[in-house]
Amino acid sequence: MLDLMVAGKTTTIKILTTILRPSKGNAEVLDLNILKDHKEIRKRIAYLPQGFEINRNLTPLESIKWNLVLRGFSLSDAKLQAKKWIELMNLWSCRNRTGWTLSGGQRRKVTVAMVLATEADVIFLDEPSAGLDVEARHITWRVIRKTVEMGVTIILTTHNMKEAETIADVVILINKGETVIEDEPQRLINSLPNRYKVIVRKNCLTDISSSQAIDLGDRIILYVKSYRKVKGILSNLNDLTGVISVEKVGLEDAYLHFIYKGGNRDA
Amino acid sequence: MRKKFRQILGMATLSGKWIQRQPLWLFQGFIFTLGFAVTLFAWGRNLALKNLVVAYFITGSWGLGLNIIAQGIGWDRVYYFYDFYVASPVSLPIYFIGNVLGTLPFLLINLVPAMLIAMLIGMDISFLPLLLLLSIVSVMIGAFLSLSVILRLKNPTNISAITNPMYTFTTILPPIYYPLSLFPSMWREVALVIPTVSLMELGRVAAHIPTGCDPSLSFISLLLWLILSAVLVIKKLKWGLE
Repeated sequence: MLDLMVAGKTTTIKILTTILRPSKGNAEVLDLNILKDHKEIRKRIAYLPQGFEINRNLTPLESIKWNLVLRGFSLSDAKLQAKKWIELMNLWSCRNRTGWTLSGGQRRKVTVAMVLATEADVIFLDEPSAGLDVEARHITWRVIRKTVEMGVTIILTTHNMKEAETIADVVILINKGETVIEDEPQRLINSLPNRYKVIVRKNCLTDISSSQAIDLGDRIILYVKSYRKVKGILSNLNDLTGVISVEKVGLEDAYLHFIYKGGNRDA
Repeated sequence: MRKKFRQILGMATLSGKWIQRQPLWLFQGFIFTLGFAVTLFAWGRNLALKNLVVAYFITGSWGLGLNIIAQGIGWDRVYYFYDFYVASPVSLPIYFIGNVLGTLPFLLINLVPAMLIAMLIGMDISFLPLLLLLSIVSVMIGAFLSLSVILRLKNPTNISAITNPMYTFTTILPPIYYPLSLFPSMWREVALVIPTVSLMELGRVAAHIPTGCDPSLSFISLLLWLILSAVLVIKKLKWGLE
């Protein structure tokens, strides 16, 4: 799920996880009604809330193991499962250190492992990679994809477009609590009217009137349909060192396009 | 049934691990309770210690409910553990019982010195079952009362700043460590409105220590507190679909 800052993704997740009651309407998870069958739903889901922190008095191994016991796992199964996910999340070297001595990234990875280790039918992750460095993010993405391959459905919210583009099978864009569009990331990108974007310093430009653009202060993003038009823009620049980047459009551009209905946001 | 037992064990371990990891809290508690006992013995000899044995049962369990358990649940809500548990197979009774059991070791701070003192002064321990029953009531009213306040805070950023004064007000100021009979007769019944005073009065009855009021009044006060605090907390402590 991708959205603006206050578009309602956490509220949506809280309704689907049966924490909040919808003010109107209804929803189903695993073909079960959230109002009537919430007890059954809770047996089959797991949820990582946004901003969730580990209990720092526990080690990563204890956090994962005892949360599995809390869900009904036997002690031996919980221990085996905890070890497996500690290894998958690359936390083995710090498995017996209390949360007080772990870095922020390590603690975040433990929270993700606590939820994924449940191997519940549906797992809700609210901003799981927030605060992670690149390496830790890649490990988390790898483990999330592995979990999906096991047959688990993961509903993940993020502001990170690269994350959604890289690991999501289906993306839902939400704005003000309403679904704007739902599709595979690549199909969303392919449906955009432009293929390329050029980021340049404004003072190098002679004319931008023919392009869709986003103003970034002293820089500007120009969207164009073809590589031929990219060449056209570059040839019109009075100084080529003013080119910041030329790249294909991505999910971030799809997000802006669909949220703002294809119109220029501010240029 | 085995699964439920395991779940309670899991919750108890998660909520009580801090006691194992930070044992100095227990040590500090022991020093305080033993030191306080010495002070009271110096001034009041065996009668003061007999009262202290009862007081340690009541204030220990009251503190467990009012401070430790309620704070734990309050912080669980602030730090999203509560949502984490709601969206899982954990039920509210398992969550609550697990929390109570997990923090029970904290009660040792009061109960161990209380039993040591009782043995040292040769107290008849036939009062123990009744005192344990009162302790359970004390935990329940304390937790319910504290939660009914904590859960109504719009910005509960410092839960302990609320529960600690509540604890001090209900244990240090009223006649817990000193007899209710010190109060003028007309004020004794008024003092029974404070649940810890009623708990103490019934505890004194059990331990054959002189009381300051008709025990039935204490019983009625506690019953009313139990019902009122349970109603107040049930209205606020929702397990999902809020």
